[in-house]
Amino acid sequence: MGGYIMQLQNYSVNDGEGIRTVIFMAGCPLSCAWCSNPEGQTKNNPMVHWVETEDIIKEINRQAIFYRFSGGGITFSGGEATAQPEFLKELTDRFYDDGYDLAIETCGQFDFNTLAPTLKKMNLIFMDLKHIDSKKHEFYTGVGNSLILENIKKTAELGVKMVVRVPTIIGVNGDDETMSGIFKFLSKNAPSVGLELLPYHKYGEEKYRQLGKKLPDSSFEIPSDEQMDHWRKMASDEGLNVVSYR
Amino acid sequence: MITDRIEKIRQNYVNTKPAISYERALIWTESHKKTEGLPICIRRAQAFYDCCDQIGVHIFDGELIVGAVGEFRKCGILTPEFSWMWVDSEMDNFATRSQDPYIMTDEQRKFVRKNIFPYWKGKSLEEAFLKRIPEDTKHIGVDTGVIDSDSKWRQAVGEVTPDYQDVLFKKGFGGIIKEAEGHIAALDMTDAESEDKRDFYESIILTSKGIIRFANRYADEAERMAAEEDDKKRAEELRVIAKNCRKVPEHTPESFYEAIQFIWFVQIGGILSENPLSLNPGRFDQYMDPYYESDIKKNAITESFAQELIEALWLKYSEWVWTISANTADYFAGYNQFQNLTVGGKKSDGKDGTNPITYMALKATEEVKTHQPGLSVRVQADCPKEFMDAVTHLVSKGTGFPAIHNDSVGYQMLINAGYEPEDAKDWNNCGCVVPHFRKTGEWTAAVNMNFGSALEYALNQGKSLITGEKMGLSEKPAKDFKSYEEVKDAFYKQFNNLCKHSIILTVEAQRLHKEMVPRPFLSSCIENCMDSGKDLSQGGAKYNIGPVITGIGLAVVSNSLAAVKKLVFEDHVCTMETLAKALQANWEGYEDLREKAQACPKYGNDDDYVDDIAIDVANHFYREIHQYKDIFGSPFNTAFMGISNYIPMGRVLGATPCGRKNGDPSSEGVSPYVGTDKSTPLAAMKSTAKVNQEIHSGGTLLNLRLNPDLVATKRGQANLGSMIQTLFSLGGFHVQFNCISSKVLRDAQAHPENYKDLLVRVAGYSTQFVNLSKSMQDAIIARTEHSF
Repeated sequence: MGGYIMQLQNYSVNDGEGIRTVIFMAGCPLSCAWCSNPEGQTKNNPMVHWVETEDIIKEINRQAIFYRFSGGGITFSGGEATAQPEFLKELTDRFYDDGYDLAIETCGQFDFNTLAPTLKKMNLIFMDLKHIDSKKHEFYTGVGNSLILENIKKTAELGVKMVVRVPTIIGVNGDDETMSGIFKFLSKNAPSVGLELLPYHKYGEEKYRQLGKKLPDSSFEIPSDEQMDHWRKMASDEGLNVVSYR
Repeated sequence: MITDRIEKIRQNYVNTKPAISYERALIWTESHKKTEGLPICIRRAQAFYDCCDQIGVHIFDGELIVGAVGEFRKCGILTPEFSWMWVDSEMDNFATRSQDPYIMTDEQRKFVRKNIFPYWKGKSLEEAFLKRIPEDTKHIGVDTGVIDSDSKWRQAVGEVTPDYQDVLFKKGFGGIIKEAEGHIAALDMTDAESEDKRDFYESIILTSKGIIRFANRYADEAERMAAEEDDKKRAEELRVIAKNCRKVPEHTPESFYEAIQFIWFVQIGGILSENPLSLNPGRFDQYMDPYYESDIKKNAITESFAQELIEALWLKYSEWVWTISANTADYFAGYNQFQNLTVGGKKSDGKDGTNPITYMALKATEEVKTHQPGLSVRVQADCPKEFMDAVTHLVSKGTGFPAIHNDSVGYQMLINAGYEPEDAKDWNNCGCVVPHFRKTGEWTAAVNMNFGSALEYALNQGKSLITGEKMGLSEKPAKDFKSYEEVKDAFYKQFNNLCKHSIILTVEAQRLHKEMVPRPFLSSCIENCMDSGKDLSQGGAKYNIGPVITGIGLAVVSNSLAAVKKLVFEDHVCTMETLAKALQANWEGYEDLREKAQACPKYGNDDDYVDDIAIDVANHFYREIHQYKDIFGSPFNTAFMGISNYIPMGRVLGATPCGRKNGDPSSEGVSPYVGTDKSTPLAAMKSTAKVNQEIHSGGTLLNLRLNPDLVATKRGQANLGSMIQTLFSLGGFHVQFNCISSKVLRDAQAHPENYKDLLVRVAGYSTQFVNLSKSMQDAIIARTEHSF
């Protein structure tokens, strides 16, 4: 089989342990207003292509020695890693049997029962939480957050190491009230997870131009290092385990 | 923390231009006038003694380690016995030349032209060499940029690692004198060979007495200065200096401080005797640690003072200048002396050798940021994590240091060159990336050979594209090549011809060195010369390893052959005739074709299509060179070293099928061509490790640029450590990283005054960015910066 991907990115060092290959899988149920990989929102655009599973495996095997020495492996990302569940399952099963370290980065909008067996084969699960207020979540991403919140709770109970990632954007969620809401939710419902706050960045803007899409709202701002540290401290004070893969 | 004293010396080092002293040359010349008729080794030894006896004594402000090669703190000397001609023709432009300018006054120039050079007319090594080499070899091998060996006949050889472990610290020069006297007494003088041996022993007795005399004159001066010094603290320092200089190098050192002063006197001896390239301190942490640990136990030294002494030594290594011609400076840019100092790695017994000095050496380079010593580390698969952390930490500082070497591949390279396993385990680095050992005589950078020229002559009827001159062997027009195999065969035919002339150049130079420039001082620092009664230049060392021929442009020819194969014979995009015309036109009017050539597979991206060609070329190079033997019967060796040779060798090279234009830089070591390793550094590492590195006993070099963000955190540095271990598991020998962003480098180019101490990796070594010519700087900026 195979599936639609944007690219394989070797020598990735921020999405899990060690040196990794990130597989950017196309398609996404969300349409975040600030998305840094807009080409991943659909499976049909010039920056997405079909790839055979066997070809991915060949490329991964060529990189294996770097994973071995660094404790790295493969990270499924996107777009949305769970948007092609069968493709994800096929790759996961193959790589799991080959003994690779596996991580997934997901927006959390998926059918839990379908995905649970695949998620259990991961060594690390990154799940995003973009806003605690469902209305605002819907406004910025196109969907409400109820399924995502529920999936965070359920996934946290799978027994797999998990990190909730919050893309931190001034003008969306970069304020004390929203952050506090997120932290309280996590400490109550998924206290064992790690929390990584990622500052917003604008590296994706060139892709918007290439796709002929309208750029993200210019009022979205990158938080300062001081602001980031402030919210990280708030999270720690809330009892959360703040982590970083930088 | 760097001390005020060291910071002051450091400031002077980064802010002062080196100046030329003719004192050594004058004493050397006057001495030679008095010794005509004596054996050449005695003449050279006497000149060395006279130098030690007469040269000015200079203890500079704040110095803890003393000994100067001339009157200037940043000082280069002249060695007219090797060559005075290039100095005579170039010294009027010393101050203004683009690479490695020196200060020299009109009075100085007038003086040397009147009082020094006339004596050497007709007597220098350079003149003899130019007289003796065959015309056809001269045509292709003298100042052509095609094959270049001028550092072996316009200069001394250098390329020695004095043996502190088994000779110098064990015996002192006093002990060496006694031993040599014993050997003389035991000679059977009815044996003709004994005459040569007697001369050799007498020569090392003279040089040993010379270096002892030199040290004692410093002791006298330090005592005199102490008596006049108002500052009590400095007066006490001077008295300690005097005590040290009375003791070493005549006697064996007993403290860390004495050992460090000893090392510097040996370096001085080497410099005064021949102005050497690559006079390597060797495995500094191995021979210094016993002194440190013993002093610490006795409370005789503090860690901070030991650190200060190491940093003072680093500055001493950096203050003297290897005086070289403009041509040589193109190949060895950046006032580099190539004194390679190695730390880390396994000991002879196979155990890990890291110790406190290992870490202090890394720290010293981080603190003083001197371009010398060339700091190398040996890394084995199970090296301590703390060591790898210290290595990657220093990489993250962007100095280009340390040069990181694979412990086991270095061992294998020495085994392949014929070393005994225990000796091979104890290897150190020489120059930039040559695995070496202290009981060795070897020319580690004998010839640079331009691979690109061989391809150029194959595709252009034996002629240079730039000058039109016939340089290579005759060949049919490119349009008549009917297959890729024919092109490849034509390339190898020209290639073998360049190899042949490289050998001829080297053997002739070796013969002349044996005849004209024996090296008694440095021979006294090498164990086996004493037993064999032979000078280094006569093959006196335990190991006489064949000279190293360095290949330049592996990536350029591999990419070019791949482009010919694909464009002409597989995809039929163009004919050989069109391609040859495009190269003759420097791609002008053939822009479309050039784009297609640039899009062909490029070495450095883990693509077997082109990597297989690189493997073939590298293996061919080894087989071709290794069949030749030098004057001692040792097979020649190959290397893919760096130095800055890829710039001048690119300058004489016309457009190449890979899409490169006239005069652009060639490629260095086993590194990919700049800007073409577009995948990841991992892919670049994999490509380069496919080349059979272990067989190239002269060393292999890989330079990569890394985005500084990648190693800004501890985690990033840990990942870098894993990358290095991965490369080494694949068989890579060396890697070195430049971790300074292009933005910073461009700013440094525009505002050099703000970046005087910015060290960058050139190739096989680091040097101050602002001390590089514009073209060198551009070449460094152009290297692909790996990010993601």
